[in-house]
Amino acid sequence: MSVSGGLVLTSGLLVPDRSVLHAAKEEFEGPLPDIDIGGIIRPPGALPEKEFRARCVSCGACVNACHVMKYDAIAVSGLKDLTNFGTPYIKDMRDFPCALCMECPPLCPTGALKPLPKEKVSMGTALIDFSLCFGWNGDVCLSCSKACPLGATVFDFYNGEWGNQPYINEGCVGCGLCVKYCPIGGSAIKVVTKKKYDSLKGSYKAGFKSLLSMKSEERYNIVYGQNLPKIMERGRLVEREYR
Amino acid sequence: MFGILVLFLLQFVNVKVLVGGLTGSAALWSLNLIDVFAYLESFSASRVFTKEAFFAVVAVSALYLIFGRAFCGWVCPMDFLYEMVDKAKKRGASAFEKVSAKIPPGTGYVIAAFLLFVSWLLGVPFFSNYVSHLTNFFRAVTGVVSLGLGLPVDRDVVIYSVSVILFLLLFEFFFPRLWCRALCPVGKVYGLFNKVSLLRLGFVEGRQCGECMLCDQTCYMKVKIAMHVDKSSLRDTNCIYCGRCAEGCETKGRLIKFKLWR
Ligand code: SF4
Ligand code: SF4
Ligand code: SF4
Ligand code: SF4
Repeated sequence: MSVSGGLVLTSGLLVPDRSVLHAAKEEFEGPLPDIDIGGIIRPPGALPEKEFRARCVSCGACVNACHVMKYDAIAVSGLKDLTNFGTPYIKDMRDFPCALCMECPPLCPTGALKPLPKEKVSMGTALIDFSLCFGWNGDVCLSCSKACPLGATVFDFYNGEWGNQPYINEGCVGCGLCVKYCPIGGSAIKVVTKKKYDSLKGSYKAGFKSLLSMKSEERYNIVYGQNLPKIMERGRLVEREYR
Repeated sequence: MFGILVLFLLQFVNVKVLVGGLTGSAALWSLNLIDVFAYLESFSASRVFTKEAFFAVVAVSALYLIFGRAFCGWVCPMDFLYEMVDKAKKRGASAFEKVSAKIPPGTGYVIAAFLLFVSWLLGVPFFSNYVSHLTNFFRAVTGVVSLGLGLPVDRDVVIYSVSVILFLLLFEFFFPRLWCRALCPVGKVYGLFNKVSLLRLGFVEGRQCGECMLCDQTCYMKVKIAMHVDKSSLRDTNCIYCGRCAEGCETKGRLIKFKLWR
């Protein structure tokens, strides 16, 4: 549907396509490119997928509630996934994560979203790409832990000679605020569904353990040989424009 | 009749009066409302009783126990859009209109029952999610606003929803009010409320009907009005309380009146 120069045709009107302009600013591949997010990330308080799908009538109350709150995290799912067509999901955590304001669940008229305390939300789990994170590669950052609405209960810190190393534990609810505020170009954090997390937590944790117990020399080679060049290339976007 | 739609539009400038759409919404950020047919679909698809949804449908039912099918004539965006199509179009019955006049108003109940069955079968509120004019109207408006503001939005949804609405308008061009009169399941359900609602059509006793039949002609829902003038009131499931018949009547509103309560 793109016409040219970042314009799209919408019901006969030419509208500047800001998502294209925006994408041009964030041209980097996301973190953990080999892991897909494992489905669809729902607004907070969503019932288990099948029950959610049976109840949600696509009324858009949650979508518009999120807009009224000025977070704009919820979008409506498109035709690429026909079974979920028209239902709400969190589309773009890099720019529009859920702020866990918890205003949308009580407004859902079907009970597809249920009010609950933020700590009990389970939208997904955030994974840090240790090969991109500043903290795991000789620097100090911790922007993610400062952005997280659940803060210290979700983050474990492994401070050492290789930096201020953050680790996101299973208390993470998957809101994605850390994804947004990570200063690495394209972010160093990815949120996957809880189901996906369950299937890959074995290998993710093993990778994390082996990184902690790695010999200095080997770590040095990885950090200076592979990770830092990758980070430096993306790091030019440190001053990204926050929306 | 614009009023309610304008209240919905206010949500795009962050006003919390009515948030959502006519399939379901929240009034004043606290009272949940859900369209009655959407509730039935959601219930049939999930096969579970949910108290949130139940309270939401009770609130809406209470409203239409008072006003009957006034939803269609005063709230639904399609009525407003269809009126514009009707005005833009030149008068004179086409061949299509004769076909459309033959389709009985009861068709909508069959459609509604079939849709509830499909929802039950798929475990998905089928009409409300994919087809509904109400869902698609508000999805189209929200989508266009979001595109304009550069917010996250799946463009194919916007294109789809705009197309559904355009299709319905085209349909109206060829088959005037066939959708409202005989097909729309949402309207049919509200039509049932007409049987018990406080609002209904009444006739002023003692006033003479000239049998000019102007009322029957002006009613685009094809309600037969003139033959009921000797009764005290008329409860037709297709009446949307638009008031055209009263205006059209040769007595200019002195014979046909809205009756609320008594
Ligand atoms: S909790 Fe708030 S920010 Fe998160 S999706 Fe709901 S309305 Fe949006
Ligand atoms: S408010 Fe509830 S029913 Fe409406 S679109 Fe959101 S999740 Fe679905
Ligand atoms: S770690 Fe990230 S995704 Fe998880 S709760 Fe905190 S901010 Fe949200
Ligand atoms: S914000 Fe990003 S770079 Fe900074 S510590 Fe967190 S994951 Fe690492």
